[in-house]
Amino acid sequence: MSPIWMLEAILLGCLLVCRFTDLPGIRPMWARLFLIFGAGAAGGVGLTSCLFFLVGVLLGAPIAAMALELALVAWAGYEVFRRRTPVFQPDEGARLPLLFPLAAVILLLALGLAAMTAWTASEANPQGNWDAWAIWNLRAKFLASGAGLAQRAWSPVLAATTHPEYPLLLSSFVGRCWAFGHSFATSVPAATSFVFFLALIALAAGGVAALRGPALGFLIALALASTPRLLHEVSAQYADVPLACFFVGALVFALLDRHALAGVFAGFAAWTKDEGLLFLLLFLVATAVFKRRVALVTLAGALPIGAVAIFFKVVLSRGNASLLSASLPGAVHRIAIAGRYIKIIAAFGHEALAMAPGWYHPILPLIVLAAVLRFDRERRRDAAFCGVILGALLLGYFGIFILTANDLDWQLQTSLSRLLVQVWPALVLTAFIALRPPVATATVQPAPAPKARKKARR
Amino acid sequence: MKRASAQYPFAAIVSIVVASLLCLWGSFESYDLKSTYQQQHSDPYLANQFARFEPLLSAVPERAELGYLTDTRPGSPAGPAMLLSAQYVLAPRLLEKGTQQEWVLGNFTRPADFTALGQSYGLRLQQDFGNGVVLFGKDH
Repeated sequence: MSPIWMLEAILLGCLLVCRFTDLPGIRPMWARLFLIFGAGAAGGVGLTSCLFFLVGVLLGAPIAAMALELALVAWAGYEVFRRRTPVFQPDEGARLPLLFPLAAVILLLALGLAAMTAWTASEANPQGNWDAWAIWNLRAKFLASGAGLAQRAWSPVLAATTHPEYPLLLSSFVGRCWAFGHSFATSVPAATSFVFFLALIALAAGGVAALRGPALGFLIALALASTPRLLHEVSAQYADVPLACFFVGALVFALLDRHALAGVFAGFAAWTKDEGLLFLLLFLVATAVFKRRVALVTLAGALPIGAVAIFFKVVLSRGNASLLSASLPGAVHRIAIAGRYIKIIAAFGHEALAMAPGWYHPILPLIVLAAVLRFDRERRRDAAFCGVILGALLLGYFGIFILTANDLDWQLQTSLSRLLVQVWPALVLTAFIALRPPVATATVQPAPAPKARKKARR
Repeated sequence: MKRASAQYPFAAIVSIVVASLLCLWGSFESYDLKSTYQQQHSDPYLANQFARFEPLLSAVPERAELGYLTDTRPGSPAGPAMLLSAQYVLAPRLLEKGTQQEWVLGNFTRPADFTALGQSYGLRLQQDFGNGVVLFGKDH
């Protein structure tokens, strides 16, 4: 029964996206559907995670959380039905060349391989990798247990061996599915991870297709679906893929001028991992600088979920030291050691090169496209908006490595590859946004008007 | 009819095809990487833990907070792995290193005289579940 509650969360998310956003106005149609699925799946997981945490855990009424969700599904479903528009509206514009069915087949093949990879991995490691069971799924078990036991998910007792101070989006969602389904099914965290992977691809592809045309939309989907390191993290069941998904979602919706939704996704990032809190801050600052007119709308979107994350960090788990606060004693001494900088830069370089085994590297498709299509000067501002946020985020990660009191080699070895996975999809998105669409250089031949055709026949 | 037929330049078509094929290569590489990884790293921590702790689950209520005693050397990598895997399997029961709690879980790698070991900590052996899993109680 537990996985059914995952589907219900996705359905709720998709219905709310259809009801409250103007995504249905986006062209082409497949990009619209991708965006609705991506935003609905990731947003549905995030929203139901928050509802379960607030109502099921803090108020101690999981049944009320379930009833509230079901009422929302019923209401949103009715609203979407009531306001429905004709299902099929043919897209205007250039006819898709023969290349697209081919690209779609390759994308399906890549997604099929990704699904097989994830399936094989979850068969071998049903509980996920170390951090999955030692942090995320362990805390989900506490949250699912209710009756005063949920608070153990952030108990200082856990601080000796794990991280009770980490935000709870993923654990709360998995715990919700387990609590509602009355079983600790291992399929829930495994499937959740894969859903975030699909949502990430859907958001990136839908966003790029809407902004830069369908060819680049398909290609970014392919580029992400075939990134070895990203796929490796999907089956690990960690919170890095969900975080990457929320980063991409926030950037895509900011570029599509859906600023409230962009803020909501940045808020979800903060409720997913500590790195998401840094992203939220940088995202709001960058919005205030680059898109001043919509800064308040973005802030309003981010506020509810961001407030839950901050409440958790400041009030509930305040007794548990974060990596940053634990790093402060002796930080001045570590900042002055030049060797740490060199070691960290070398590790960043090594990890960036080692994103795939063998000769393949996920940057290769990008290099090919950039060499032929070139970059579009008109998109410089969008690329700068994304680039500044991601650059500052990477600088923040770099700073944490400089400050950390943990053994630097161990810290780099156990976390750097995952940090790059968080940022990589958003970096790819930034590059695709900056590319010139192939159609920009195409010879467009308007089809003859009906009258002209008749004359021609005569 | 407002549709237009777009002809992509040859170079653009070639770049799209090459990029797509590169991505496909990446997909196969990913599949290979993961298959190899799984063969080498197949569930090293939890594989036997559910069976080891199964009898303890029915002996200790979910609300319990248990102390934790082990024979792994302090600082050895096996220590945190054993504690965390036990914590995961036994959750929502909470494990805390030390012997202050009413119940104490013994999680051992080798056979030993657990009765004597418990007494040295002021604990009474309540039940030996085998496979190095022992439940101690406070010796009042």
